[in-house]
Amino acid sequence: MEPWVRFSAQSQARERLLRAAQYGCALAGAALQRNGASAEVVARVRQLEAHLSLGRKLLRLGGSADALEAAKRAIHLSDTVLRFCLTLSHLNRAMYLACDNVLWAGKAGLAPAVDQEKWSQRSFRYYLFALIVNLSRDAYEIRALMEREAGGQRAKGAEAGRQQQQRRRAEAGLQQLGLRLQLELRLLLRVLRGNPPLLLDVLKNACDLFIPLDKLGLYRSSPAFVGLCGLASSVLSILTILHPWLKLKP
Amino acid sequence: AAMERFVDFTDRSQGRERLLRATQYTCMLLSYVIERKADKEELVLKLKQLEASMSSGRKMFRLGNTVHALVAARRTTQLPDVVPRVCLTASNLTRALYFVCDTVLWLKSVGLQPDIDAPKWRNWATKCYYFSLLMNLARDWYEVSWRLEHAVQKEKIKENSSWDKRNQELNCLKCDGLHGFFLLLFQILKNHPPLVLDMVKNLLVLPDLPVISALHEHALLTLDLWSGECQLCPRASAPSSFP
Repeated sequence: MEPWVRFSAQSQARERLLRAAQYGCALAGAALQRNGASAEVVARVRQLEAHLSLGRKLLRLGGSADALEAAKRAIHLSDTVLRFCLTLSHLNRAMYLACDNVLWAGKAGLAPAVDQEKWSQRSFRYYLFALIVNLSRDAYEIRALMEREAGGQRAKGAEAGRQQQQRRRAEAGLQQLGLRLQLELRLLLRVLRGNPPLLLDVLKNACDLFIPLDKLGLYRSSPAFVGLCGLASSVLSILTILHPWLKLKP
Repeated sequence: AAMERFVDFTDRSQGRERLLRATQYTCMLLSYVIERKADKEELVLKLKQLEASMSSGRKMFRLGNTVHALVAARRTTQLPDVVPRVCLTASNLTRALYFVCDTVLWLKSVGLQPDIDAPKWRNWATKCYYFSLLMNLARDWYEVSWRLEHAVQKEKIKENSSWDKRNQELNCLKCDGLHGFFLLLFQILKNHPPLVLDMVKNLLVLPDLPVISALHEHALLTLDLWSGECQLCPRASAPSSFP
């Protein structure tokens, strides 16, 4: 029980749990509907999901300040690409949270004149931007690690010779493209396996990507799939809280 | 720097909860004040809606606090002194019961179990909350009284060891009477800020009028902001011998 207390004492941990519950409800609702459960049960699950969503919006009030602070800190990073990506990502997150606060005000009845659809679309657009920037940062890190790994390979003796022969042979015939892709893929998998934080971040962002894509209408998938993606990314995020070494730094 | 302070404060689970609670009670107060005035029904409705949404969001965030209270109760059963041990354990156990009632009320408000008797559970929740506060106050009273006793004993020893008769008379005057008692009390409380904060927090409970509960919440919020995480640690046993 002690681990639970330590875990949930962090406000972010509880928020992630509630997010997992929310997307779990979405998934359960879609699954129940497909399997022909009674309309009342489905309605209850949807109501719970709506409550969870509204409650999470309430808890996110003032999160823009958080994101702006993080953006201020990210400006001092040494690496240019990282600096650019992280600052942009945090700024987009701040805008997303600001739109989210407006949505909450509308849903809670404070400002009933708020156009829910318009602000919802806006908030998801900023969220999508933030995720794309995060993924490009991940791609940059992967590229850098792959080059380092390939360079390290070349430094080794006999194996390097063999690899080079393989490479020359690969650069020769018509099957060269397939072989080259295979080599790159193997290198990519090796890099990802050796860097769990990076792998987790890539998976998390990839899962998260489907949510705004669906809500904005860019890539419509079933509600069950969206729920599953949300649940998966929440679980991965909880893992990074339980094991702080799994969090990608900076 | 102010923003950093805000972020730091709300990052802790407690801080954000306090802010939400303060806002909720402010809404309650405002709706009570404005209700009397005519043609402000819409505003009152909005405030009530806002208060309901904050209350439900806070309850949701509190899910799982039962475990917190049980763990705290387990910890306090290991205190060396009898009175704090009994008081704090009872307080934490009733707090756990309060959170159970709270969870049940949340289940009803969310629509998962619509056939729950809300007034009964709310009644129980209030009783548990007050009992736990009472236990906390009892423990605070005990702490203050043994410190007071200790300080009085120290003064008496100083009196006995001083050779100057005139000084002795003056010292006696200082120790006796209500004036001396309050001076000593003030001295003790000044030297032990966590104890003061705890007592003040417990004593500020007068929730029947919306004004008082709103003021109560704002006072608690201010105390929290000023003191950071000033938790009252369970004290070690009172010293049995005096220097």
